[in-house]
Amino acid sequence: MSAAGAAIAPLWRLSMGARAAFLTLIVGALCLMLEPVAPWLIKWPTGWVLPATDWVGAGLSWFLDAIKPFARACSAMLSYPMDWANMALNGTPWPMVIGLVTATGWYLGGLSMAALGFLGLSFVLVSGYWFQSMNTLALVAVSVPLAIIFGGILGILANEIPRVKSALQTLLDVMQTVPTFAYLTPILILFGFGPVVGLIASAIYAAPPMARNVMLGLERVEPEIKEAAIMSGGTRLQQLFQVEIPSASSQIMVGVNQCLMAALSMVIIAAVIGGFNDIGWEVLLTMRKAQFGQALLAGMVIVVFAIVIDRMSGSLAIERQRHDIRIVWAVLGIAGLFTALALLSNSLPNPDDLTLMNPVAQAVDQSLTDFTKTNGAWLDSVKNTAMFYGLLPLRIGLDNAVLPFTWGFSWTMAMSAGLFACAGLAGLLLAWRGRVTAGLMLVILMGMLETGIAELPWPFVLFGVAALGWVASGRRLALISVLLLGTILLAGLWERSLLSLYLSGAAVFACAIVGGVIGLVCAVSPLAWKAVRPVCDMLQTIPLFVFLIPVLMVFQIGEFSAFLAICAYAIVPMIRYTRHGLVETPGDMLEAAVSSGATGWQILRDIRFPYAVPSILLGLNQTILYAFAMLVIAALIGTTGLGQSIYLALGKADVGLGISAGAAMAILAMISDRMVQGFAEERRRALGL
Amino acid sequence: MFRTLLATLATCAMATSVQAADLGAKDEPIKLAVNEWTGQHVSTYVAGAMLEAAGYDVEYVTAGYMNMYQAIADGEIHGAMEIWSSNVSEDYAKKVDAGGVVELGDLGLDAKEGIAYPAHVAEICPGLPALDALRDCAMKFATADTIPQGRLIDYPADWGTPGADRMSGFDLPFKAVPAGSEGALITELRAATEKKSPLLIVFWQPHWAMSAYDVKFVDLPVGNDECFEDPKWGSNPDATHDCDFAPSRIFKAGWSGMEEKWPAAFEILSNYTLSVEDQQPMMGAVDVDGGKVEEVVAAWMKENEANWKPIVTAAIQ
Repeated sequence: MSAAGAAIAPLWRLSMGARAAFLTLIVGALCLMLEPVAPWLIKWPTGWVLPATDWVGAGLSWFLDAIKPFARACSAMLSYPMDWANMALNGTPWPMVIGLVTATGWYLGGLSMAALGFLGLSFVLVSGYWFQSMNTLALVAVSVPLAIIFGGILGILANEIPRVKSALQTLLDVMQTVPTFAYLTPILILFGFGPVVGLIASAIYAAPPMARNVMLGLERVEPEIKEAAIMSGGTRLQQLFQVEIPSASSQIMVGVNQCLMAALSMVIIAAVIGGFNDIGWEVLLTMRKAQFGQALLAGMVIVVFAIVIDRMSGSLAIERQRHDIRIVWAVLGIAGLFTALALLSNSLPNPDDLTLMNPVAQAVDQSLTDFTKTNGAWLDSVKNTAMFYGLLPLRIGLDNAVLPFTWGFSWTMAMSAGLFACAGLAGLLLAWRGRVTAGLMLVILMGMLETGIAELPWPFVLFGVAALGWVASGRRLALISVLLLGTILLAGLWERSLLSLYLSGAAVFACAIVGGVIGLVCAVSPLAWKAVRPVCDMLQTIPLFVFLIPVLMVFQIGEFSAFLAICAYAIVPMIRYTRHGLVETPGDMLEAAVSSGATGWQILRDIRFPYAVPSILLGLNQTILYAFAMLVIAALIGTTGLGQSIYLALGKADVGLGISAGAAMAILAMISDRMVQGFAEERRRALGL
Repeated sequence: MFRTLLATLATCAMATSVQAADLGAKDEPIKLAVNEWTGQHVSTYVAGAMLEAAGYDVEYVTAGYMNMYQAIADGEIHGAMEIWSSNVSEDYAKKVDAGGVVELGDLGLDAKEGIAYPAHVAEICPGLPALDALRDCAMKFATADTIPQGRLIDYPADWGTPGADRMSGFDLPFKAVPAGSEGALITELRAATEKKSPLLIVFWQPHWAMSAYDVKFVDLPVGNDECFEDPKWGSNPDATHDCDFAPSRIFKAGWSGMEEKWPAAFEILSNYTLSVEDQQPMMGAVDVDGGKVEEVVAAWMKENEANWKPIVTAAIQ
């Protein structure tokens, strides 16, 4: 008793982090000790699972049936603009479309943007996917205005009624973190079949960035401007629409730009359910035949669209002199003349028959074959090494992963004891040198590695998450996290969630290190950034499905392939934000450092890096969200876990399972998001930013 | 003689299509689902051409195989010409029970499913296609995910787990890994063929990849219903599923309102059949020779009128 008292007394003198880590360690140790007598600590007993997915399914089905007539009416109304857009884009001869885009490019950004538009659309033409591309564009053309209106209304509401603001923020988070695959089934039931489903899904996905930017823009309007509007006696509506929104217009245009990009990426994902012969459908068809070259070609069409739309709408956000309108008419005139001549002489080629790029696609395909043939052996050993010494121990723990087949010997109890002893000693050493939290964390991490993420006892996970949330942001986050994780436990999705957590956790960890290093190199050398940037752009805009073929060809179906596919997508924000943070150090700080004679390396370590931490943490946050998003796509190459459940539910039209698993995924993503943001906020405060 | 008969039939067809009493709402287009694979495109375009010959207007609608049943139940798609019992969505049975979807009978394609391997694997594991050969060379199929067992690529999880059932049925030291999607299955076949690496996979025919990658089936003992219910049946007394795959049915389905709205079309689609011998060459002409489905099917229709004309004629008379 007195010994315990003596141990606890100094506990309260420790920092918050150390206290939390200490308590977590105790809970973990208790779980490990009690494991033999109480197996329910490790595995949540099936008897305790509530049939929540069925309830969700039944409740939702009833609700969906109730509002179905209304949704069908909406769907019928939406099919009109959809048909018009389709007719306008597919009915216009292709030289006219190219001419229009080139002319718009000239008007917005001069010669370089006109060239971009012309070359981009010419590529689309020769790829042989013109009709499908126009179908995709028609979808985007209808869904983006919807998203802009919807997002704009949400943003204005949040600005006008401060009470609903936090609720709206949460709604936006949910809209962005619930995987699209999860809500495709309800949309399908509600709105019926055809392009409207993809249209609605992409509008839902594209609205949040718009809403966020409207909010931010309205918040940032100068108080003097607002006061001037009030003093000149305008009503609230006049103030809003005639003064505040125009002065926030450049931020709002950033929102429009983001909205366009989001809609474009979602239109492709929605193609999984089929219903429209668009470019996403083509990507899926080619993927189904394992034709990498063709899939890449179709994917590049999307990349081209994304770049053209991004640059053009991006220049809308910057207020600038527009270019000479006479050139616009000249370009349109030339296009019209060309069309007329071609039509008159009946020699306008049908874009379907243009397959100039096919040899290129075949060459790409062939090079993938050659690559797999020549490098298969050593890449196999890379994969085995990563699986045996990295992923497997992380998933099922050293105690199960160390086998004669893998490491050459069997894991014994003595080894566990030895490992814990070593970790304990190292922890003590750290604690003795004054880094108590680090010492405790080391022991906890060793324990997790010994047990494996997929087999962690649930009380330990709940407690650990609560402790992390408490340290990151306070009691509220701790409580909310535990409650939300509790619902996952009760719904019986716990094991799948841990598997998802393990796979995305491993990917995030790898992305953080590799992406951080690449970001650092790009910050130091502008030349490296010139080379890396287009790759980043491409990885972010190409349909995610395209990655899957080459990864599978080389590494086969399995976790390692899924891991790589997730990394390829999730590494981008880490690179971007790390570089951005390191480059944007305040100038006066740098001058002070230079004048006090610091070397380049010292400046990087002591000035640039500390200032970059909030930005890097933001990048990490985005990386986590991207990893969760990609987890669902990776289900196409056979992962286990939540992603697979969501994909399965889509195939079975099982609304309950889809929405429950989607919600579990959103819960995991949102908890990690809040925690990283909590730590980032703390760093920012410490730096006085 | 034969030609005269055909000519008579054709004249009859033209003569009767004018009456159109049984055709129903022939001014409204009948929408047929076009799914993700070439074989289905062939089956659908043949059916569409038959409907057009009967005087209907046909529209082909792009539709995801797994998610089209809601649309059929809503009457937004009217017919799906090639549904495989081995990987039909659970939603199909639900929609049939609810009354929105009706089955239109067998398509007549003779399908085979089984445990398969690309031909070069026989060199790696001598003794194939005998089942027992797998027992001895399981470790040659092992990968980092499955060690110490061999690896079998199973169907995507939403198609069921026939591979895993066979492995436990025959008590073979293989771990079944679900493929995730058909694309992943094909990519595995392609990679194994190009790298000459070992591969065991659950696969089916008719499929274009069967010939493209020279895929062979492992010999499995022919089973009956008892095999799937009674563990005592077969070589393994402790497990069910120690036999070959139950033959997969390939059938057609349609909107339940079709019989009333387009009676003749309903009859044509119900009686329509297509054999592997007919479908396979057309698939090859599209996938291997790069032809367009519409043209390939139109050519076949012209040459094989005896095959399909009687069904159309019977329905509209």
